[in-house]
Amino acid sequence: MNAHAGPSAAPQPSGSQRSGGQRVLLGQPRVGVAAALRRGLGTIGVRNVDLASDREEVTALAEATRPDLALLDWSLVREAPGLIESLRAGCGVRDLPVVVIGRFASAAERGTALALGATDVIARPVLRAELIARLRVHLENRSLNRSLQEVIRSLQAFHTGAVQRMAIARDMQLGLLPDAAEIRELEKRYAIRLDSHFESSSELGGDIWGARAIDGTRFAVFLCDFTGHGVAAALNTFRLHALLAKIDLPGDDPAEMLGAINRLLVGLLPETQFAAMLYAVVDTAEHRLTYATAGAPKPVIGIPGHNLRVGESVGLPLGVSADARYRNRSLDFPPGAFLFLFSDALFEARDWEGRPFGYAGVLDLVHQCSGEGKLPALLERYFAVMPRPLADDLTAVWLTRAG
Amino acid sequence: MNYTVRNQGAVREIDLRGQLTFEANDDFRQIIEGMETGAFTDCVLNLESLDFIDSAGLGLLVLANNTASRSRVKLRLRRPRGQVREMIEISEFHTIIACDF
Repeated sequence: MNAHAGPSAAPQPSGSQRSGGQRVLLGQPRVGVAAALRRGLGTIGVRNVDLASDREEVTALAEATRPDLALLDWSLVREAPGLIESLRAGCGVRDLPVVVIGRFASAAERGTALALGATDVIARPVLRAELIARLRVHLENRSLNRSLQEVIRSLQAFHTGAVQRMAIARDMQLGLLPDAAEIRELEKRYAIRLDSHFESSSELGGDIWGARAIDGTRFAVFLCDFTGHGVAAALNTFRLHALLAKIDLPGDDPAEMLGAINRLLVGLLPETQFAAMLYAVVDTAEHRLTYATAGAPKPVIGIPGHNLRVGESVGLPLGVSADARYRNRSLDFPPGAFLFLFSDALFEARDWEGRPFGYAGVLDLVHQCSGEGKLPALLERYFAVMPRPLADDLTAVWLTRAG
Repeated sequence: MNYTVRNQGAVREIDLRGQLTFEANDDFRQIIEGMETGAFTDCVLNLESLDFIDSAGLGLLVLANNTASRSRVKLRLRRPRGQVREMIEISEFHTIIACDF
């Protein structure tokens, strides 16, 4: 449902109708001149003319009729220098066009009229054609201004609505990720520490990560990055979240799991959209990490007493081909070991000079920060040199087994 | 990204240069349209001078490959280097699009 009128709902001025529906306030003490001006306005289709013969009537009528243009005789303005100001204040329209017409004694007097707030001055005697042409310009300007203001108001309303809807959608997306209580539960149950970072390049992102218990000694962790970012990519994260809720997926076998998700996504995703995903199972009894990848960045694994290890990663992204097959990789994952997963934004993001941060840069950061709960420190160093916002969504998950 | 096209008989050879990312979308779609309308049976995308590809770029390769299949054109990738080669290997794109490394 959309409660807001779109920008197209703004009034569209057109042709002679533009001045036809407009209202003019005529401040004119001389009946004969007033009748001539009224006839002149009639020739350009202005039928709503309110006549005020003195300054009190001018301010009272302005307030009551809210005109589109005021045409005041110079004698009224000369006698009451605050008239134009109070007229505008009375009808609450600061930019109301006020044209002063009359016999001016000098150019200086015309200057005075302008200084008192007149939009324009017309010195009599004046050709009727010239008078009409100039009034028409002011009425058209007024009409265009009002249309523009309507459009701006309508766009502002649309924008405010869009921002509110985006904020709701963003909360829904964050709701797909494990919450603090779920993370604490996993940390306690499997003696691990799980740090994560989720940062979309716009309100919504195409990344999703998760962690879930399998049995008393095993749990799974995954990170998935859909192509693109923004609303379309975010919709895909909701798709994946719904698919993962299916109870018949082989969640304890990463390669089988990716194969099953892939077969579900092929046909669901448009031709140019797919997902890079890493799915890992940690067995805390066997001290093993088993993972499979589908076009995902190589994970970084740290084992106490060993050099940092870059895990292999080979596999078609999810959603490209129904025939894709995935492979499990298995390695020791003793207490104290850590697994660092991240989306490609981490190394593809560009610094102030436009150079990609690079995978080697990520490894350097891990070297500087490895250890339990070092993800915040790593990101602090990262963002010290990388400009925000990133061009792509960034997700990072750092899992450490207690030593 | 920019590119040059050479037609040699039934083979169209396209040299890609620069970065194949979302920004290359419009240019690359012209290449893809050419596959539907051109009078050739083989198309080679020469990647030697391409220095960067991201997931959106891989998506364009998938689109090119699907369009080529529908148009009965044999598509090949040639000589990916550096980051581009790494992305193709990680994503196993050489298993769906023929690639001469």
